[in-house]
Amino acid sequence: MAEQNTKKILLDPVIENNPITLQILGLCSALAVTTNLNTAIVMAIAVTLVTACSSAAVAYIRNSIPSSIRIIVQMTVIASMVIVVDQFLQAFAFSLSQKLSVFVGLIITNCIVMGRAEAFAMKNSPWISFVDGIGNGLGYSVILIIIGFVRELFGSGKVLGMTVLPLVTDGGWYVPNGLMLISPSAFFLIGLLVWLNRTIRPGQMEKE
Amino acid sequence: MLQRDSIANTFRVAILLCLVCSVAVSSLAVGLRSTQQRKKEEFRQQNILKAAGLWPEDAGNVNTTELFQKNIQAVVVDLTTDQIAEKWSAGDPEIETEAALRDVNLSSTIDGGDETGNDVAGIRRREQFATIYEVRDGDRLKTVILPIRGYGLWSTLWGFIAIDYSSATTDPQSLKVVGLTYYKHAETPGLGGEVDNPAWQQKWPDKKVFDSDWSVRLEVAKNATGDYQVDALSGATLTSNGVSNMLLYWLGDSGYGPYLKSLLNQQAPGTPSKN
Repeated sequence: MAEQNTKKILLDPVIENNPITLQILGLCSALAVTTNLNTAIVMAIAVTLVTACSSAAVAYIRNSIPSSIRIIVQMTVIASMVIVVDQFLQAFAFSLSQKLSVFVGLIITNCIVMGRAEAFAMKNSPWISFVDGIGNGLGYSVILIIIGFVRELFGSGKVLGMTVLPLVTDGGWYVPNGLMLISPSAFFLIGLLVWLNRTIRPGQMEKE
Repeated sequence: MLQRDSIANTFRVAILLCLVCSVAVSSLAVGLRSTQQRKKEEFRQQNILKAAGLWPEDAGNVNTTELFQKNIQAVVVDLTTDQIAEKWSAGDPEIETEAALRDVNLSSTIDGGDETGNDVAGIRRREQFATIYEVRDGDRLKTVILPIRGYGLWSTLWGFIAIDYSSATTDPQSLKVVGLTYYKHAETPGLGGEVDNPAWQQKWPDKKVFDSDWSVRLEVAKNATGDYQVDALSGATLTSNGVSNMLLYWLGDSGYGPYLKSLLNQQAPGTPSKN
């Protein structure tokens, strides 16, 4: 039973209860870092790690957090985790950290991280909160990777930097879609994903 | 045992949490500093190579430091005398720009006087000894790469501009841009941050820098026309102005202008070369 539960907590947010397509959280960074797959993947990993570790940390100290400062405590924990991730990126993936620029720092304001800490980790044990964080991070990752893939493929004819559709400018045949390189395209793609998701699962539609 | 929601416990938790988090974060930052600094230096060298047009397109496994040392020579220029400074050699920690700017003996306030000129770039202080970079083919100077910096909208932008000497004549108009790069800034991503965009940087090569009297004419402008103007970044007027201003300052009389002039006199055909 307990194992079933862990699995459900891990996998539920990936599709069924996805933080982006159902809860519509974390959109800002989903728009900003998805022009190519590479940055999308790094961002996805960073958010997953931060969500999981901060949820676990918050859950570990949940019984001693005074309710009057609980949001601040959560923010402090999350901010520390984000700085840790940022420092590691600067040391070991410098060019990527340049590309992600401020968006790594802005993981702090990603509603998914804060949302999980407040809604889940404050009521559950560290291990299960960690799993919940990983699950929600994966849900975010799935969407980010799909959008990053589509935008990079149609915007610059590449996947992970390798040419798939040779561009006209390089002597190929593909005329890149400029819209894919700017942020609004991510909005359209997320909109389409939400539509798709709600068509498959009518239960997610809001009641009239 | 203290009550969870009591005032005493609130303070206790807050203080403990801050202590634990700050110790963890700062010890990590200190531990990783040397690796980060090495990466930063590599990135700076990459930008010098990019400005000079020596960075390969498919730079998968390029050893930056090796490529840099093979092609680039650093030279220290005294901006007061506008000659090569014999006293220092490139890489001395005292004359690293950030250190020099804190040292009153090695830098001076830009006060509008004859020496330092007007502070058009918004940088307040100018170092006396600047490290510039040269690409030479044997004895012949090919490219000069100059560090430039200036204030944009939010931050000081740090970068390099490379100038082509390989086809220079006695006419200053023959000096052309090879490339412009920035390696450090905090402008708005997507707007001013587009100074990093290779598509925009592609517009710089082959632009002229000076008119026939050595005044800096190179600038960023809306609807750029002619040999001296580069298109402004849309939505980033202040960053674009910042780029223009730093070119005006650093390539002008208070910056490298006079040194560039003396280099041209050495280099131009008709003057006896060193060998």
